[in-house]
Amino acid sequence: MRPVVRAGLYAALTLAALTFIYPFLWMASSTLKPPFEVGSLALIPHDLTFENYRIMWSRAPFGRALLNSVFVASTITASVLVLGSMTAYAMARLTFPGRRVLNAVTMGVLLVPGQLTLIPLYTLIVQLGWIDTYTALIVPYLFNATAILMLRQFFLQIPQSLIDSARMDGMGELRILFTIFWPLARPALAIVAIFTFMGSWNEVLWPLLVVRDQQLMTLPQLLTVFQLGGGAGTLGVSLAAAMVLVVPVVVAYMFLQRYFIESMAGAGVKG
Amino acid sequence: MMQRPRPERSSMRAEQRSAWSLTAPYAAFLLAFAAYPVFFALALVFMHWDLVTPPSFAGGDNVRLLVTDARFGRAVLNTFVFLAIHLPLQIVTALGLALALNRRLAFRAFWRATFFLPVVISGAVVAILWNALYATDVGLINNLLAKLGGSPIPWLTDPSIAMPAIAVMVTWKNVGFYVIIYLAGLQYIPQSCREAIELDGATAWQRFRHLTLPMLLPQTILVVTLSTINGFQLFIEPYVMTGGGPLRRTYSVVLYMYTNAFSYQKMGYAATIGVALALIIGAVVAAQRRVIGTAEAA
Amino acid sequence: MPSISFEKVNKKFGDVSVVEDFSLHVEDGELLVLVGGSGSGKSTILRMVAGLESVTSGTIRIDDRDITHLAPRDRDVAMVFQDYALYPHLTVRDNLSLGLRLRRMPTAEINRRVAWAADMLRIESLLERKPKQLSGGQRQRVAMGRAMVREPLVFLFDEPLSNLDASLRARMRIEIGGLQRRLNTTTVYVTHDQVEAMTLGDRIVVLANGRIQQIGHPIELYRNPINRFVAGFIGTPPMNFVEGNLHRENDRVFFVSEGLRVQLPAERLPGSVPSKAMTLGIRPEDVTLADGKPTSGGAGAARLSGRVLLVERLGGTSHIHFDVGPHRLMAAVSGEDPPAVGDTVGIEVPSERVHLFAADGNALARAE
Repeated sequence: MRPVVRAGLYAALTLAALTFIYPFLWMASSTLKPPFEVGSLALIPHDLTFENYRIMWSRAPFGRALLNSVFVASTITASVLVLGSMTAYAMARLTFPGRRVLNAVTMGVLLVPGQLTLIPLYTLIVQLGWIDTYTALIVPYLFNATAILMLRQFFLQIPQSLIDSARMDGMGELRILFTIFWPLARPALAIVAIFTFMGSWNEVLWPLLVVRDQQLMTLPQLLTVFQLGGGAGTLGVSLAAAMVLVVPVVVAYMFLQRYFIESMAGAGVKG
Repeated sequence: MMQRPRPERSSMRAEQRSAWSLTAPYAAFLLAFAAYPVFFALALVFMHWDLVTPPSFAGGDNVRLLVTDARFGRAVLNTFVFLAIHLPLQIVTALGLALALNRRLAFRAFWRATFFLPVVISGAVVAILWNALYATDVGLINNLLAKLGGSPIPWLTDPSIAMPAIAVMVTWKNVGFYVIIYLAGLQYIPQSCREAIELDGATAWQRFRHLTLPMLLPQTILVVTLSTINGFQLFIEPYVMTGGGPLRRTYSVVLYMYTNAFSYQKMGYAATIGVALALIIGAVVAAQRRVIGTAEAA
Repeated sequence: MPSISFEKVNKKFGDVSVVEDFSLHVEDGELLVLVGGSGSGKSTILRMVAGLESVTSGTIRIDDRDITHLAPRDRDVAMVFQDYALYPHLTVRDNLSLGLRLRRMPTAEINRRVAWAADMLRIESLLERKPKQLSGGQRQRVAMGRAMVREPLVFLFDEPLSNLDASLRARMRIEIGGLQRRLNTTTVYVTHDQVEAMTLGDRIVVLANGRIQQIGHPIELYRNPINRFVAGFIGTPPMNFVEGNLHRENDRVFFVSEGLRVQLPAERLPGSVPSKAMTLGIRPEDVTLADGKPTSGGAGAARLSGRVLLVERLGGTSHIHFDVGPHRLMAAVSGEDPPAVGDTVGIEVPSERVHLFAADGNALARAE
């Protein structure tokens, strides 16, 4: 590459990078500014204030929503990993009548758009009396077809002799799964864990349907309700609320960005 | 020695037993949360149900209503407006950034991570953030315009600008994802092909037009398919930013479905919208693939 | 007395029969080799002993205990796998001890056994390494160690040397043989390599298409192959075969084929032969070059004339390929001065070394 071209390329990349980063930096700084200063482009607040956070925290139960989100996303992730790998293990490594059907149905599930099943699922939750419960937020996500297919694909690559050897050592299937397969499948498990957790963490539509009690709302839901209900009042306050949702994700992303990209791009393509 | 009654292929049976107990929870889950909703969605199309009184048979009411419902038509039309702006923009920006990243660069991982950042952020946050960026008086974008000597633009309140504005925002949120897809595709173009076309004396543009672009066709199809599906799922952005306005110009199908279920308690009609949406997505994706396929063959 | 007996064992995968009517008794302390090509059923038999494959019908006993339907862990057998099956995330020490820990053996005993096996296999220095850090031969030793520490009734080896290069394979072969003799544990060893079978086995079972072809001591199989398959399978380089017919002239019997006529020792032939069409077999090492000189046993050997096609020099011996009429034969001869390509040479086929196979492939004359 000629130096001119190279310089142009870096300039373009920098400009592109700024359009992705600057809004978030501006958001972070705006939450620390008094209302009249919010519109300014400057990133360093003139009058540093935590007032936006105080107001946000006092007007809606964001602490509780944070805990709800962590609880719901962790439970779902744990289930998708544990129950999902049990299912994937059986589908990949055991012979039993029904295996082909299970495989076919799992792939079929990926083709069904979520909108098709949204309303019947909602009525099911209503009929089960699960409205305003954690159960409603968690149970429909206990399994994930994308996760099962990814894990199955990974499990298929583990040599049969390891299973044979473990069986001769007296291990049962669960023990083989968790003491032999899991240590070998760490990368696949990490990928599944990330996209599952992030999917749950960012989900809004489902909680909006099945939870009305503020005490049970997840973060993105409470944030949306807060914004629409006009509870924020000013831009600074609503951005401060958004920060509660963003900061943990960005911190995790900074450390694990390679896994995040692999996980979320991979799941998106397969799902 | 006593001949014990022995079960034929007993170890086989043991394997089946463990397999069934390992997969039973999933099978039950599939029945309750995948199979049942699909069939019940189809049943709901022929029902009136407000979740309070028992459901009643609706015959063709819901379908007839849907066909004549101007609001549903508006929402579908809006989606096509959205896609008309979003799809080309998404392809061009994703491809451009992927081509830039596909060179020997310093800090490649950093650039890539930067472009991908909005993908990991919740759509609700992005909507709130862009609400602020688009704000007419204190918004960042209009402030920037003012610095450059322009006059403020009512991004989300002008009926003809609001949907394009949302399309730009969604492009911004998802572009990193498609950059990764294109980058993966670029890895598969063999070095020997690049060298061959270079020896043929092709210019940079010709190389792109006759080698890179055709080789990336599978990725382009994927980008088109996924962003189309994504476009039909538009919900949180209009919900948070415009409420579907101004003049219903940003009203989306899912938003309409949500409103019918949640605000009007019309489960039958909401499910009908869901079924229709699934059919439309299927038809549009199939049509796109056919068009892109013929374009390739030509 | 850990002996293994198979009684009419059958194995089907769906409708496909992979092992048919397999009956065999493996003696206590014996090293029995199952040899055959792919699809011969040899690995399936081994896996049925291990309990990794179910038995369709028949009985397998270890001593007098019917193990046919026991779970693998209850059989007290240990197996060395083709790809070693070492747990990649565990150290060598943990790989060796895992099976014992799962059986809740006291730690002191585990340590004693691991130390004993490590010493015997000379892998003490590798105990803290992970399998990835080991060479192929070292992995092979660890895999054997894992079987040894179990102190099982029976060892099972599933093509344990096939992932090693030739020289290492020869060395490990000797080690396995030595180890088995020292431990004196009943062993079933599966291989497709007949050299491995010949050098290791106390007895060899030759399998094809799920059926036993012949059971016997290595030298027995070499001398008296029961059919054409075994004759072709055992021995390197493989036996020469020529299709032809039997002719009786007065009291003498000849094997005749185009360009070739071999007198057979009539007293060793049965009075009536099932068919006139026959296959003659002769091992390359039994074929000698006449070199124009008169041979020792004039009547006992047929003299043929052949044109040399190809000479493979192996050093001490040479493989000489030549055409006899339309037939292609090979001779393995010693000496460093083989004939040149294109030469026409005299060849001697000693009639007492000849094997005859009827049209159904079964051996006819035991020409010892």
